[in-house]
Amino acid sequence: MTGVLTVARLEFTVRVRAGRWRWLLGGWFVILVIFTVLLRLAIGHAQDLASSRGTVMYGGLELFQLALALLVMPALTGQSVNGDRERGTLGVLQVTKLSAFDIAAGKLLAAWGTACVFLLTSAPLVAWSMLEGGVPVIRVVVVSIVVAVLLWVICAVSLGLSSVLSRSTTSSVLSYLFVFGLTIGTVILFGLSTALTVNSDGTHSNETWWLLAPNPFVILADAAPVAPVPPPHCRRISGALTPGTLPNSVVTPLPGSSSSGSVNSTVEFCDSESMVDPLGSISRSVRDLRTGPGEPVSSAPYRAGLGPTVPRGGLVWPYGLGFDLGLGGFMLFVTTKKLESPRRHLPRGVRLA
Amino acid sequence: MGAAVMEEPAADDGVAARAVWRRFGEVEALRGAEFTAAYGEVTGLVGPNGAGKTTFLLILATLLSHDAGEVWVGGCDPSREAGAVRAQMGWVPDSFGVYDNLTAHEYLTFAGAAYGLGRSASERADELLALVRLEEFGSRPVHVLSRGQKQRLGFVRALVHRPRILILDEPAAGLDPSSRVELRALVRQLAADGAAVVVSSHVLSDLEQMADRVVFFDGGVTVGVRRLDDVAADAGPRLWRVWALNASELVAALDRHGYVHTPPTVHGVDVELASDEAAAGLIAGLVHDGVQVVSCAPLTSTLEAAYLELTGEQA
Repeated sequence: MTGVLTVARLEFTVRVRAGRWRWLLGGWFVILVIFTVLLRLAIGHAQDLASSRGTVMYGGLELFQLALALLVMPALTGQSVNGDRERGTLGVLQVTKLSAFDIAAGKLLAAWGTACVFLLTSAPLVAWSMLEGGVPVIRVVVVSIVVAVLLWVICAVSLGLSSVLSRSTTSSVLSYLFVFGLTIGTVILFGLSTALTVNSDGTHSNETWWLLAPNPFVILADAAPVAPVPPPHCRRISGALTPGTLPNSVVTPLPGSSSSGSVNSTVEFCDSESMVDPLGSISRSVRDLRTGPGEPVSSAPYRAGLGPTVPRGGLVWPYGLGFDLGLGGFMLFVTTKKLESPRRHLPRGVRLA
Repeated sequence: MGAAVMEEPAADDGVAARAVWRRFGEVEALRGAEFTAAYGEVTGLVGPNGAGKTTFLLILATLLSHDAGEVWVGGCDPSREAGAVRAQMGWVPDSFGVYDNLTAHEYLTFAGAAYGLGRSASERADELLALVRLEEFGSRPVHVLSRGQKQRLGFVRALVHRPRILILDEPAAGLDPSSRVELRALVRQLAADGAAVVVSSHVLSDLEQMADRVVFFDGGVTVGVRRLDDVAADAGPRLWRVWALNASELVAALDRHGYVHTPPTVHGVDVELASDEAAAGLIAGLVHDGVQVVSCAPLTSTLEAAYLELTGEQA
């Protein structure tokens, strides 16, 4: 473990002192602020979002941040190993007491640490969205952990590619292709495969839902704990009620009021607004896809306030996260293998020093 | 071929290698190379480009495995006991990078930590910086160092864990003359302290002043071994360059004594002499004749002559 920390400390120091890193971090923060401010202004403009401002802000911010992170991380880790080979700093590391795993895991830890620093810059914006209401702490905690784990996977895959491929440009490009495959490729694959499942019973997405599972956005949204329901807005109305005067909502006859046939009565009706939750709606969609045709679990719109939470289908995120973590672990293993020496085979054009 | 020119490797040698083969695809980089390096000595490794020197040094440095043959570094097999070899071996590659954003002191401290020095790593870094007169750069980023200073830093980096075996691949490349003198002194000092030092170099004059013994590689095999005192002794006939204050007096005296010589140039007159004794006789004769001799020196160094002879290349 000491060896891992030694390598991680070195790598992290070198990264932090590199100038471009600071500019990248600054740019990152500015973009997040601009996005959040614009999002907040847009929400403020939409009347029907009044009760779910915080939820929309937080969900939007996290999805946007994940997208941004997926764009930046391959650039930060895509050259970890082959870049060191090109600069001639790897060989002198390999002949020390450090094991191949120390070097691989240390590099991964440093890359992931860097990613986490990027995530931390969004803390003030997250706090802002929490102040808007509707974002429980548990949701923030779980989502932060999930985003961090997803970035670990991206770092591990980029690291692995940089150890397998001898040219740093090639491995960077492949890292981006991997991110592309994970985000857009899974959706395309799912869409095309699902088209093949259509028959007279409907679309059997229950056979293909797992193609979407490794998608980072799906994992993030599905793992997020359910947002709380805004308290229903209740009013009492007394007087003459005729059919049609009541809004289309739950009507609870109050105890002591006259029977339902009576003309003069007092009722309480609660006008529950529809809740908008970006994470929740993605989650609901993929769980419905998993359920497939014929068993609508939540065909109703995502209306909170109608009693207990609308039931959702089976979880999707554990499969996706499990798959992605497995992939990351495998790539860490590959990196370790590639860093082991003495080497029997050398890829063409690889300089050992 | 190799076995004939080498003495049998001894168990107490710092480095010993017998019949080492290594192939990269179609290319056979090593074809039965032999090598020994004793503790307390500097052993030079010389050969033309592509002779397999760097491949051989990478095998010693535990980075490459060999296909066949036996290799011992500090009594351990680098392909099977890499850890044991690394603990007692320091390696300076022919080209290496430094982390530009670290200070020289941090760089060496990190190297110490990588060798498991723990808390003493920082102290050791101070010692090493002092050893190569880089103390003033301790707190400055590595990128301000000149090429020669970086080379020195990379050199002491390999000493961080006080290795008993030191492997230097072209350490003098890119060094200015004064840095070379310093490097030679440092290498001699390490050998005097008991280390087995292996140095590959193209600069034969450097090796001549640094090495006790030189192993010649050509085409992946060992083609010869010379102790430096042997090299001097059996140098054989070669060209000597003579110069005097008055060129015409010199030429006249040479003709009078019957020496075959080249016409005078601004550099001097070249004379082929059979041995060192013949050279001494020539100087005595010239001085006796009143020629004001300025210099008389072999045109090719003894090591160079041996190199050309062993690798079959023409001067």
